[in-house]
Amino acid sequence: AVTALPVFAEELKFANFTPPFHTINKSVIEKLDSELSARTGGELRVRGYHGGELGSGPVEQYVRAVQGVADIVWGLPGYTSSQFRKTMIAELPGAIPPEKPGYEALWAAYDPHLKDEFPATKPLALWTSEPNIFIMRNKVIRTPADLAGLKVRVAGATAAEVAEALGATPVQMPINQVYNALQTGLIDGVITGASTLTDFKLDEVADAITTGAPLGRIAFYTVMNLAKYESLPAEHRAAIDAVAGIPLSKSAEDAWYAAADAALDAARADARNTVVDLTPEEAAPFAEAVRGVVEAYVKSVGGEAALAAMRGE
Amino acid sequence: MYRAIRRAADGLIELCAGLGALGLMVEVAVVIVDVVGRAFGHPLYGSQDIITMTMVFVVFGAMALCDRRGGHIAVDLLEPRLPAALNRAIDVLSALLGAAIFVTLAWAVYESAKLSVMLNLSTNLLNLPKAWFQWALCALALVTALAMLLRAFEAAVRPSAAREPGR
Amino acid sequence: MNEGGIGLSGLLILLVLLALRVPVAFAMFLVGFFGIAILNGLPSAMSLLASEAFTLGTSPELVVIPLFILMGNVASASGMSRRLYDAAYAAIGHVRGGLASATVIGCGGFAALSGSSVASALTMGKVALAEMQRFNYDPRLSTGVVAAGGTLGILIPPSTGFVIYAILTEQSIGRLFIAGILPGLLLLALFVTAISLICWWRPEMGPAGERRPLGAKLRALAGAVPILGVILVSIGGIYAGLFSPVEAAAVGAGLVIALGALSGNLTLAQLWSASKDSVATTATVMLILIGAHMISPFLALAHVSTIVGSFIEGLGLGVTGTLVMILALYLVLGCFLEGFAMLVLTLPIFFPIVTALGIDPIWFGVLVVLTLEMGLISPPVGINVFIVKSVAPDVPLGQIFRGVLPFWAMMLVALAILIAFPQISLVLPNSMFD
Ligand code: NA
Ligand code: NA
Repeated sequence: AVTALPVFAEELKFANFTPPFHTINKSVIEKLDSELSARTGGELRVRGYHGGELGSGPVEQYVRAVQGVADIVWGLPGYTSSQFRKTMIAELPGAIPPEKPGYEALWAAYDPHLKDEFPATKPLALWTSEPNIFIMRNKVIRTPADLAGLKVRVAGATAAEVAEALGATPVQMPINQVYNALQTGLIDGVITGASTLTDFKLDEVADAITTGAPLGRIAFYTVMNLAKYESLPAEHRAAIDAVAGIPLSKSAEDAWYAAADAALDAARADARNTVVDLTPEEAAPFAEAVRGVVEAYVKSVGGEAALAAMRGE
Repeated sequence: MYRAIRRAADGLIELCAGLGALGLMVEVAVVIVDVVGRAFGHPLYGSQDIITMTMVFVVFGAMALCDRRGGHIAVDLLEPRLPAALNRAIDVLSALLGAAIFVTLAWAVYESAKLSVMLNLSTNLLNLPKAWFQWALCALALVTALAMLLRAFEAAVRPSAAREPGR
Repeated sequence: MNEGGIGLSGLLILLVLLALRVPVAFAMFLVGFFGIAILNGLPSAMSLLASEAFTLGTSPELVVIPLFILMGNVASASGMSRRLYDAAYAAIGHVRGGLASATVIGCGGFAALSGSSVASALTMGKVALAEMQRFNYDPRLSTGVVAAGGTLGILIPPSTGFVIYAILTEQSIGRLFIAGILPGLLLLALFVTAISLICWWRPEMGPAGERRPLGAKLRALAGAVPILGVILVSIGGIYAGLFSPVEAAAVGAGLVIALGALSGNLTLAQLWSASKDSVATTATVMLILIGAHMISPFLALAHVSTIVGSFIEGLGLGVTGTLVMILALYLVLGCFLEGFAMLVLTLPIFFPIVTALGIDPIWFGVLVVLTLEMGLISPPVGINVFIVKSVAPDVPLGQIFRGVLPFWAMMLVALAILIAFPQISLVLPNSMFD
């Protein structure tokens, strides 16, 4: 059979710092590839470079896009929070109402409040994880008092303040050390998304999970090198415009929620685990404890308008 | 003239290595304070930031001293079988290559530092600007490149002086 | 030339440069940099150079390297390692090669604890090489022992190699940890056997001393109590959850410094010079690691693992054939790449091939991790051997490689046994889980 190879074929390099089976692959990388390919008759493709093949670690992801090591990258604003001061508001406890999708909130605030934080790139997707939970070992959390003196791994300065406001001792460490740290008792738990239960195997060492406390969520971006985007022919840019933005962000966020739900379901099914789902009344003291941290942060970055936009006010 | 340059270079090399050695002492102290503090519920705020950024000095501070001591490892299996002139040429060219690599590294890191300023990048807890440490890396890389240039010159002109006595 | 061809030529050029005595790190930088520049443009090569150097140079995990080197240097300067080896010699010095066997166990324990065979080779190298020389052990035997001993640690929990493998392949970390125990003990037994055979055949490699009376043994042991205490606190602290393995390095170094200062065996000048020596060794090691990290994006851009993966798949070999092909490839790549970078580069391609053949992923994990460590000590370009060279500058590289060879051969034997008897890897995890 004669395969009609497109005359002009461009392959965009997508740098992924996680393994190829990570949620990002199907929901963003493969989706981008298949949809751009379909809209351009196979002329524009996307190829994932997984597990940090194009450079180690998540911290330099944005820089990789700007300097053109990759055409597209995904990453967490939390790793370089000083760049994303207003975007990080989305991660604060209670900033986005629980029922509102994170991507809607982020895109509502993007223009004009967050745009300056994404220089030299074109954001293709902005989304958040499911709300953070407590993942603990040997300690069941029902009230803020249960956290007193416990060592809890957090990522970033604001998360550390949240943990401190709840009476815990915040500990900073790379996520891939968390498994051993939980096992030896170096830390009592982690505040993070449920998907880490499977992504980093924390389900093997954690035995107590508490959901429903306002602990914020984690924000994510996928951005494309702006010069690369502008160098493409008009019909390719149009294809990217059609695929990127809300649809791609929704695809990512839905996939994140699905992964988290699956991980939580598995944890509930395991008889060794204690899973506590706080009622709104039980969650209220947690919200009360962290309110000051949230207000102080928003004020310190001049983010009142961005927060209002995220909330749709 | 040459002796004065050599003395000045050795002083600079020692100074940079001293920064690294000092950084290593700082690492030990910071980790211990953090560990002890954490046991009593008060870990050192921003210890990760200090530990990682001090690493720049620990890792790159002694690059020049390492070169001066002939510490960059090469596969010496063929050395006895090659003619002396070729071995000398390899010494000179390797030193020049090292200098070129460290100049390129300094330049690349300098370009990245510009980006760090543009993106307002800093450490997560203490907000130490990333560019500071990239500039430090640049300076240490340039000293290393200078040391390697001097070694290339010595290997070409005065082979006996190219390595620190006793190593 | 296509991408795969560029990748292959790059590796060949690397070999030529190494043979011409271009420093290892420089050769890796050169090939990696120009390889990336050809495949992805000069700006990309510049950016990767800057980001890999800065990321590795500020890595919270790699801080163990300078800290453990410092601990080893201070222990040597203050005479603690001397007393440790006096005690070991009093206990088993009358056995031929006894000190080497003790060292191999010590290296294994150290690597098991620190999670890094590099850190083990560096620290134990600083301590053990001079001491074994003092008792007239041949440097070929002592460097071989130190280079190989660290490889034991990756099989014994906690092992960073297994954590990375588990995360990359969605396997259970706990199962892998347990699976590594018996193979680790098997390898240890083989190493001790190798030492005994070497010293039986050539007694001058590890000469036997005279048997000491009990009183002398106890006196020697008493002298080693401080350093044994440091080791005990460092290990105990990790398992008691007081600090992480990374922090244990700083605690250990701090304790050694404090003990040296309190006993009057460590002056400020000695400490300063030990610290300076430590950063100089750190520079050597880190430059090689950064160089190795320039090679891995180059090979990724050249799609080397995809090409090799489809080649192996196309051969249509059976289970054992495919397994042997893949492991042989790991052996070759392991010479050029840093271990974890290699897992990241290859597992996404090979793991699906392996699981499609019905090969047990836990068993495969044990084999891969063992092979990866073998690659790190394989002639002519094993990275761990260069690292031992950095702490033994006076021993020619050729001698170190000759010293490593018997242990390398034993690892090959262990690999063959583990391939022939999957139960050795699987019996513990299968009985402890489910
Ligand atoms: Na281990
Ligand atoms: Na290793």
